[in-house]
Amino acid sequence: MDENEDTPKDFIKLKSEKLSVDEVSELVVSPYCGAVSVFIGTTRNNFEGKKVIHLEYEAYTSMAETEIKKICRDVRQKWPSVKHIAVYHRLGVVSITEASVIIAVSSPHRAESLEAVTYCINTLKASVPIWKKEIYEDEYSWKENKECFWANSEK
Amino acid sequence: RLSFGRRRHREPAAERCPPGDGGSMRCQQVSVLYFARSAELAGLRCETLSVPRQITSLQLWEEIVKVHPRLAVIRDQVVFAVQQEYVLLGDQLLNLQPGDEVAIIPPISGG
Repeated sequence: MDENEDTPKDFIKLKSEKLSVDEVSELVVSPYCGAVSVFIGTTRNNFEGKKVIHLEYEAYTSMAETEIKKICRDVRQKWPSVKHIAVYHRLGVVSITEASVIIAVSSPHRAESLEAVTYCINTLKASVPIWKKEIYEDEYSWKENKECFWANSEK
Repeated sequence: RLSFGRRRHREPAAERCPPGDGGSMRCQQVSVLYFARSAELAGLRCETLSVPRQITSLQLWEEIVKVHPRLAVIRDQVVFAVQQEYVLLGDQLLNLQPGDEVAIIPPISGG
């Protein structure tokens, strides 16, 4: 096999259509890798006793893609054996139990891809300009990630 | 569901930038982008503003609040992104170029 045909790739997409775990996992599969680790963020139906009807996401799209590229670059520095990385985030309305984000990473052995996926989602929550609005029955709320250093922790 | 208008800001440049005053008071047209709660408070998603080239990030915030006073309530919870780099509100001196993109960034909640 020609190693040059499997150069490491980053797959980054923000889109309003439903996300597919099969599609995102298949992007990172590689004959040189024995592990594909996947994180799926899904929509919960409740927050602090309130019923969540659905979520709505918006993004500063160009900057979000740039920040995700930085995360991929950092992953490759920390875990050089990582082969492919895919980060797909949904925008617009996301219904309960549907996926809002899917992150998939491949590596020859499982430790690196497991750690890299954790790093990706944690860093995405701290640095990527995407916003989530939780819609309840009578009101809505702009959420704030605890990882975001400019959010007030107490209201 | 809120709908946002697209309003081009037409504040006369002379009010902010006295004629004949070059250097740091020279004004630049920058694009200002509003997201999430800041877009709801400002009532729009983007506009062009004329601001001095040499300005601190806090002064830039104050210029924007003059145009959209309702934004004042979120002052302690926002940062800027200037040409897609995060900037805190404070003494940092910005060197804005014509057409630069400045975004108001409320606390993020991706993932």
